[in-house]
Amino acid sequence: MSTVVTSVLADELAVLGGFDAGVCMNCGVCTAACPLGLDLLPRRLLRHALLGMAERVQGESEAIFSCLLCRACEANCPAGVHIAEDVRLLRRWLLGKFEEAQ
Amino acid sequence: MTSRRIGVYICHCGGNISDYVDVPAVVGAVRDEPDVVVVRDAMFTCSDLTQQEIFSDIVEHRLDGLVVASCSPKLHTFTFREMARRAGLNPYEYTQVNIREQCSWAHTDDPQGATRKAISLVRAGIAGTRGTRPLEPTVVETTQRVLVVGGGLTGMRAAIGLADLGLAVVLVEKTATLGGRVGGMGPMFPHGRVGADLVARLRDDIGRRPAVTVLTGAELVAKSGTYGNYHVVVAVGGERRELAVGQVVVATGFADYEPHIGELGYGMPGVLTLPELVSRLDSSHGPLLHDGRRVGSIAYLYCVGSRNEEHSHCSKYCCSATVHTALRITERNPGARQYHVYRDMRTYGRNEEMLTQSRRRGSLYLKFADDDPPEVAREHGRLEVTVRDLLSAGEEIRLPVDLVVLVTGMVARQNRELVDVLKLPVGRDGFFNEIHPKLRPVETVVDGVTICGTCQGPKTSAESVASGLAAVTHVGAMLKRGVAELDPQVASVNPEACNGCAVCVEACPFGAISMVGAPRPAGGGHRVTPAEAGSGEASPGGLVAAVAATGCKGCGACAPVCPTGAIDLAGYTDAQVTAIIDALAMDLPGPEGRTGDVVGPGGARLRVAAEAPAEVVR
Repeated sequence: MSTVVTSVLADELAVLGGFDAGVCMNCGVCTAACPLGLDLLPRRLLRHALLGMAERVQGESEAIFSCLLCRACEANCPAGVHIAEDVRLLRRWLLGKFEEAQ
Repeated sequence: MTSRRIGVYICHCGGNISDYVDVPAVVGAVRDEPDVVVVRDAMFTCSDLTQQEIFSDIVEHRLDGLVVASCSPKLHTFTFREMARRAGLNPYEYTQVNIREQCSWAHTDDPQGATRKAISLVRAGIAGTRGTRPLEPTVVETTQRVLVVGGGLTGMRAAIGLADLGLAVVLVEKTATLGGRVGGMGPMFPHGRVGADLVARLRDDIGRRPAVTVLTGAELVAKSGTYGNYHVVVAVGGERRELAVGQVVVATGFADYEPHIGELGYGMPGVLTLPELVSRLDSSHGPLLHDGRRVGSIAYLYCVGSRNEEHSHCSKYCCSATVHTALRITERNPGARQYHVYRDMRTYGRNEEMLTQSRRRGSLYLKFADDDPPEVAREHGRLEVTVRDLLSAGEEIRLPVDLVVLVTGMVARQNRELVDVLKLPVGRDGFFNEIHPKLRPVETVVDGVTICGTCQGPKTSAESVASGLAAVTHVGAMLKRGVAELDPQVASVNPEACNGCAVCVEACPFGAISMVGAPRPAGGGHRVTPAEAGSGEASPGGLVAAVAATGCKGCGACAPVCPTGAIDLAGYTDAQVTAIIDALAMDLPGPEGRTGDVVGPGGARLRVAAEAPAEVVR
């Protein structure tokens, strides 16, 4: 399976403002620190969002809304990514999509 | 033969030798050799402690000869020569015997044989040492002028440094202008300094130094002479200029790797190399355009032509240069999507900050596996890069982009003529080789030839300048002494014995032997080649060969071809070599029961030749 990367998601996140996962260095400390133990959270989710995989991220809404926003990931992030804020942004983006669809 | 007082030291090398060679047996075997005054073994002969012991022995026993049997002469010849000199023994009265590389390591399966061989080698060393005599280096004045080949950033900076040391400099540049690669560059990482400005500043600095002579459109075509005093010929504007120089500095730079047509889409519209992209940026203002349209997305494919079978090296500047370029494009084309498809990011040192900054400003990094490179295709009139991204769990990602930039590295510049003229040591990768990458980073094995900058391997401009200044230090340290000491182990001709046949003149690879007029005993059936006959040097007595001590490298090519034995090489005289061969041919009791092979001096050399090391008996 291959995914075509477009700039749509990035552009839409830019409009919402503040999505800062670009400095992520993919170390995975965040995922190790996540109390939910979901494989997706938060590193892979952020990667999908960064690469602009809009449909994929929409399919991952359950994980996005399960996040406890506890910031265990953020406290340990060596790149200083505001992960909880980024998850909030993705929630807002998903809600926007949902409203569009209504 | 007058009697000598020789000290012999046999090394264990911490087991490297003594695991296979019975060192006490070797000591016992040579203890009663004539002329040997003291024999010792040591765990490490090269250690300070043992050197001190040898030092004391030289003084106490008034030694006039020294034999050290340990490792290859490549390692410690200068260590022991220096130690001997400090102890008051002429350094050339010392002989190094190799019982490690050529004995213990080579015969790990045969300790008894290795021990017998070690005894033979040490005896041969003693035999050679009996014939040593004190030698003093030839001291010559050096020419206080340096030839710098290559007028790029490195060569220019080196020329200025040399001039500031008080040396005259001739800066030779092949093209019509100074400046090289950097002279054509716009903003360079990490601080955005403009290459053309840097070069303009250096050009001004050179202009203010009358000691620097610049020859553009010029090429070095010949070099001869001796250490510290070379004669070079520079072809410039159809004429040949002859110059006397003391040293040569080579700063001839690199070439960009040129992708093959079809390699990662090279040749398709919109696929270009990093230097091509940079030159487009440097020669334009405002947003970067392609086909008249503003570029909205770029994929950079890293390590093109680097770190593969053809070019195994990392060019180390390209990652930083690409990240710097991406930051420039962020300024010029705000909002452009930039994908960096890389193998490993090597933005080392402070350049790492640029990498973080580029991520912060929207550059996306995708990593591919070494054995799974990205592919470039044109789909529906648009370029598309496909990459299996290791950072997305190996998912195949397709990137539709406006431009594909192939990040090409540095390769060696083809420069056959210069290599031939200077006999430059060229590595397997095509770059010139230094003697030691850490401790002697700009010296070459060629006397008087120093290398610096990217001709010796990929470097950033800052590293190139540092290496150019290292060359300045090395050349300055050598030339500013005013004199050079040349190895005294050179050939000399006994004019009484020379018959003037001039065979040695032909044999000398360094052109150090000439026929000179000299009183020569009548009756020698000598012949003179037409060249010498026309030299006007003939005297009524005929011509004899003479070796210029400053030109001789001590290779020994002349001595064996002399039909009258008139040539001897100091340190390796015929008498010494004969004694060495005789010692090697001496019978040793051994398990093979070769006790019947008693060999007299010179009598049966061929019979034992097969057992003797190739470097002693040819």
